[in-house]
Amino acid sequence: MPTAHPLCKVSEMPPGSRKLVTIGGRDIGVFRLEDGRFFGLRNRCPHRGAPLCAGRLMGLVTAERPYQLVRQREGEILRCPWHGWEFDLTTGRSVFMPEGVRVKSYPVRVQDAPEPAVDKFDVTESEGIVVLWIE
Amino acid sequence: MNVTMKNQSTPLAEAKPRIRVVDADVHHNIRDKSDLYPYLASIERKRLEEHGIPRNTSLYQANGGWKGARADTFDAGEEVDPRSNFDMFQKKLLDACSVDVAILQVESTPSLVALADIDYSAALIRAINDWSLEHWVARDARYRLSLTIPMQDPAMAVKEIERLGGHPAVIAAYVVCGSPRLYGKREFDPIYAACIDHGLALSLHFSNEGFGMNPPPTAAGFPSYYGETYLIRPQFYQAHLSSFLFEGTFEKFPKLKVVCCESGFGWVPAFRWRADMAWKELRWQTPWIKRLPSEYLEEHVRFTTQPFEESEPPGAVDEIVGWMNGAKTLLYSSDFPHWDFDPPESIPSRFGLHVRRQILAENALSTYPKLAGLAGA
Repeated sequence: MPTAHPLCKVSEMPPGSRKLVTIGGRDIGVFRLEDGRFFGLRNRCPHRGAPLCAGRLMGLVTAERPYQLVRQREGEILRCPWHGWEFDLTTGRSVFMPEGVRVKSYPVRVQDAPEPAVDKFDVTESEGIVVLWIE
Repeated sequence: MNVTMKNQSTPLAEAKPRIRVVDADVHHNIRDKSDLYPYLASIERKRLEEHGIPRNTSLYQANGGWKGARADTFDAGEEVDPRSNFDMFQKKLLDACSVDVAILQVESTPSLVALADIDYSAALIRAINDWSLEHWVARDARYRLSLTIPMQDPAMAVKEIERLGGHPAVIAAYVVCGSPRLYGKREFDPIYAACIDHGLALSLHFSNEGFGMNPPPTAAGFPSYYGETYLIRPQFYQAHLSSFLFEGTFEKFPKLKVVCCESGFGWVPAFRWRADMAWKELRWQTPWIKRLPSEYLEEHVRFTTQPFEESEPPGAVDEIVGWMNGAKTLLYSSDFPHWDFDPPESIPSRFGLHVRRQILAENALSTYPKLAGLAGA
């Protein structure tokens, strides 16, 4: 049964920001992209255990043919701070082997007035709450 | 194979007695060229003020990680080079990885030893060695220094070893692979004699191939991409080790220890086999080589583990470790704070407690003469 974990008010996470949380012993990075979308990713690289969510965000760089670089999906690829393994922030799948190498991703949604637990955020106006879901 | 691979998992923290960790390859640096001013004569200082330290990385203008470092080491902000952040090193390397001894090999060395003006080069090298001892080694007892020497001029290199080689925390001479001449050539012999006189190992690290006065990094010139340079590093070491072997360097200097840093070790067994094969077939041409090359290599040459081989299947690397007697010849290194950093846990627990202890510490204690006193501590 999925459980909801309210994190903060939306205004506390402006576009381009990220937040580290620990829930049930799991370190999870919550990212808000420049376009406003939220994503959650386990903060541990499956390669050598680096704090993955301390990595840089970049675009997806591809080339149909040698030397013909294409850069797209700016800010949606997380590059591990140690050895540079790239992960798709929206799915948790690695870029180099999407089927075989991945990191746990978590849905993050903005909700109006979810659980009683959000009282602690002192929501006086109709502002959304950032909620992380763990299945 | 020689390694006993017990199917056991012993977390480092629970191992008793606690495994000591010696990190054989760590890269600190000055924050700004002005850090060196107090250690320079006025004329050299003025030259440094005006022209700065040359960068030797312009060939590719690329590296891994973030500006070549772990992206999570920019604790003091984007503009402060993590290599210059003493407090961050203590926190994220020495404390976080329980490192007992970290061997410093300063980041600027390749730039300084690539200078053709040997007097200016030697002056900058003296300055950065003095600065390293005062600002890093003296401030944390866990540090040792691998002494930068101006290898491009053997007489000057000997002078630097004689000047600082007697310092108790100076435990190796730091040399890069890029060179106009192979290091087994007899003109370098006085350097090895000085190393032995002062209890220093020779620490060999790739860099400067194709830079400054040096020949291109391959027999066919320059690769285009940084990733290529990553792959071709083993040949730099193979060239110098072949030179040591066939010039008889280890016959001339029975106490010399050479540490090959940061180019993996998967290639070592094949290199040993081929060296033995060549010696058996061509022995009469270099009869001063008395023993199998693999025996010299096993006695005199060590390899640091980072970046640790990622074999497929994963267990295949265990065989390689056995074939090269890695329980004796491998030294753990992290390469902190570089992006391809390996934590001590990179040495697999399936190696078993004994082999891990050898690789993580004991082998280093029997490689660097000045660390021998720590054995059994």
